[in-house]
Amino acid sequence: MSKAMICSCEDVTVDDIRHAVSRGFCDVESVKRYTGFGTGICQGKSCTAAVAALLEKEKALKPAAVVPFTPRPPLYPTELRMMASVPVDESQPPVGGLPQEVDAFPAALRPEGPVPAKAKVVIIGGGIMGLALAYNLARAGETDVVVLERGYLCAGASGRNGGGVRMQWGTPSLVELAKRSIELMKGFARDLGINVWLRQGGYIFLAKTKPVAQRLERNVSLHNRFGVPTRLITPDEARDIVPGLTMKDCLIASYNPEDGVIFPWPFLWGYAQGCQKRGVRVETYTDVTGFETSGGQVRKVKTTRGDIACDTVVLAAGAWSPQVAKLADVKLPNEPHRHEILSTEPLKPFLGPLVSVLDSGLYFSQSMRGEIVGGMGDAKEPAGLNMGSTLRFVSRFAQALMEQLPEVGHVKVLRQWAGCYDVTPDNNPILGRTPGLDNLLQMSGFVGHGFMMAPAVAERMAKWMATGESDELFTRFNLRRYSDAAGHSRDFGTGTLEREDMVIG
Amino acid sequence: MRRLPDVPPRGRAITVDLEGESLPAIEGEPVACSLVAAGEPMLARSIKYHRPRGPYCFAGACSHCLMRVDGVPNVYACRTPARDGMKLERQNAYPSAKVDIFESIDWFFPKGMDHHEMFAGVPVAEQVMAKVARQLAGLGLLPKTPAPVTAPARTVRTRVAVVGGGAAGLAAARVLTERDVGFLLIERDDALGGRLANGTPEAGGPSLDDIHRISPSSVLTRATALGLYDDEAGRFLAVGTWEADAPRLVKVYSERFLLTPGGHPPTLPFENNDLPGVYAGRAASLLLRRYDVAPETAALVGWGAELYALANLLQERGTKVVAVVDLRDTPPAGAHATAVRGSEPKAHGLRGVSAFSYTREGGGREKVSCDAALVSVPVSPSFELARQGGAKVPFDEKRGLFVVETDADGRTHAPDVYAAGDVTGGGTAKDAAAAGRRAAQALVGGLS
Repeated sequence: MSKAMICSCEDVTVDDIRHAVSRGFCDVESVKRYTGFGTGICQGKSCTAAVAALLEKEKALKPAAVVPFTPRPPLYPTELRMMASVPVDESQPPVGGLPQEVDAFPAALRPEGPVPAKAKVVIIGGGIMGLALAYNLARAGETDVVVLERGYLCAGASGRNGGGVRMQWGTPSLVELAKRSIELMKGFARDLGINVWLRQGGYIFLAKTKPVAQRLERNVSLHNRFGVPTRLITPDEARDIVPGLTMKDCLIASYNPEDGVIFPWPFLWGYAQGCQKRGVRVETYTDVTGFETSGGQVRKVKTTRGDIACDTVVLAAGAWSPQVAKLADVKLPNEPHRHEILSTEPLKPFLGPLVSVLDSGLYFSQSMRGEIVGGMGDAKEPAGLNMGSTLRFVSRFAQALMEQLPEVGHVKVLRQWAGCYDVTPDNNPILGRTPGLDNLLQMSGFVGHGFMMAPAVAERMAKWMATGESDELFTRFNLRRYSDAAGHSRDFGTGTLEREDMVIG
Repeated sequence: MRRLPDVPPRGRAITVDLEGESLPAIEGEPVACSLVAAGEPMLARSIKYHRPRGPYCFAGACSHCLMRVDGVPNVYACRTPARDGMKLERQNAYPSAKVDIFESIDWFFPKGMDHHEMFAGVPVAEQVMAKVARQLAGLGLLPKTPAPVTAPARTVRTRVAVVGGGAAGLAAARVLTERDVGFLLIERDDALGGRLANGTPEAGGPSLDDIHRISPSSVLTRATALGLYDDEAGRFLAVGTWEADAPRLVKVYSERFLLTPGGHPPTLPFENNDLPGVYAGRAASLLLRRYDVAPETAALVGWGAELYALANLLQERGTKVVAVVDLRDTPPAGAHATAVRGSEPKAHGLRGVSAFSYTREGGGREKVSCDAALVSVPVSPSFELARQGGAKVPFDEKRGLFVVETDADGRTHAPDVYAAGDVTGGGTAKDAAAAGRRAAQALVGGLS
């Protein structure tokens, strides 16, 4: 069959690029994500310029807006065993990170014309939280909504996560939200017309120390109470589920077959398209520069494309939330923490569940495309917005992964990147009204796991906003929990809630 | 492709094993070169449509030649030296690459595929698709045994790290040698020279003599710069090397990084541009100059000086050049006799190129029989390291390429990163050498 290939690694044709443009994906980063060009073995070496030239020639982009997608290390596929050969000093914090891409969007990508002068609801942050909320508001009849996003859709943590979705949490609220989210994910393609490739291969948590083992034991009864079929499994059972898994030093494991993995990007596109069909404006490459407040209310949101007068503002900017809140003189206790992740060459299916060593935060799964996708938290990671990549991470990850799955030594890393967790003192989210600024609603602090909570949280929040009916979610997780009795919120305590300790990655 | 007759072999004659069949090869040459010379241009099936694929770029910059080599999946056959008895398997095909039933997928999707919208929300079909897609996804099988452990990474400190030993890098290395500034030249190939050794000859171009002025202790060959990183000790390159035939990672800390990696052979989108037998122009000159392998009959397409130089080089060495199609300009005076300006190129053939067609300017459609279609266009700058280091990479509309932005002396937006040669936009080897010299001189001035 005659075809003109533009990216032969991923079999992307010239017509596929044109199709993406017709769907509204015009900048190089978005076209890459929608078509998959440049995500294969060569990482865009042979095709990026050809795609860029086509976008420029066919007027999808102004010349100044044609920028390459971020080239990620390693530049050539590199075996995990080679990465594992770099010694790591765990007693020291990670330093640096390249390439830096926190403020990398050229002004030429900004859409022409101003944002609407007024709107009922302005949502700051076009990640999954903001878009899911806007979609649910629109479904409830509220379409006078503007979503502001500083980059392309998927530029933040929603586009950078590993796609794991699980019900295995340590506190009741999160178990319940995650369970509902996964239910909604099953129907996502039917509701929004885009595939999200939910594959329920389960999650296996391994425990190597006693306190962690006790945590897993305790979780089982909590999960079962909510109808989540988590069970403890023996090392032999774990090996039946994942052939080749070594269970060295492993005390116990828990398994929920209904957890799984999804492909994150289509969620954002699906919600955004669902919003736009109903008249909601989704404004990409638009930065919030300040707020106009008076009488304990936000009156206007100021942006790089004009001001928007509004009734309600929702702050759903993830790791950027404290920075944006500061513009309204609101101090949030959230701190951004970089978390790194990588993806390997695609292999034929061999790994069903997502496996995580809860003690170290190592996790790995096999994506729908066949890549091993995984990460591992670094306890020494300092706070700060940093999306650079380090060799230290790949080395630590490769060492830890090869310990669990020795057969992967020859498997090659294709690319590594980083995103930021939005970390709160008690690992619980911040939701609801802001003390002192009544119409500023918080929707942040999901500690790197907001993606799997968003469909359910947005459903509850839209209902709460549209009907005014009380919902304990927005009092339980209110910012007030960190204040002292006198209401002073300057010195944040750890809050009044039970700490969520099932955080990985 | 065939080995040129009446040329003495460049190495020991050996055999490699392609799915049980024993094929002749020359020890040490890229095994993809051995296979095409032995009449096996199809090395793989593509990831989605199971289209036949053969080596294209011979530079590790595409994915057409990935094979399972001695049990390890997705190995670049174009960069793997042939060894006696080496076991090669084609991937992603059932029951075999020659008769692959999944080839039918290619016919179901004549224009392309939007897997986001396909069967989205259609009951049953959606679930079936997800199951089928998972089984079809992926390239290659997980190795069956653990890999041997790699020796611990080692660390090197130098004043200047030069990435790429082509025209620009060699000229820079010569300046650094003369000025007695410590440097390390990192070259991905097994020999220095880049296009001076592997490309088309250039009248008045720089000679390869500079190689002999460089101390071997300042050179790492078969060394791939994997990324520019930083840590508590500063900025460094992670370099994948081979030491005593085993892989080894080297961290190269340096005060300055002079990036002269050249460019990647780009894709030129046209009908069947991925058919086995379509090669990058620089791949064709490499195969001819280094390994004495060339097409019998070739059609050339592209633009720029290298297109015409390649036609002459092939013709001189006995290849019958049946078409030279310039997609941008009118052929210059003295160009190959078949040279025309044309458009809409297309490769023809079932498992490999058997013919090539194009529309002649002011005329009709022309079709010629050939065993190779060679794509010679200016290389696409390898801007990745420079961009990681903080250099600016604007789009050059006229050339349709991303280029690393530098001043006349190779300074980029990042104070410790310099760039010269093809990576800044391409030109002649002579231009690249001059730029390499200027950049080396400029950065030496800034070293304390």
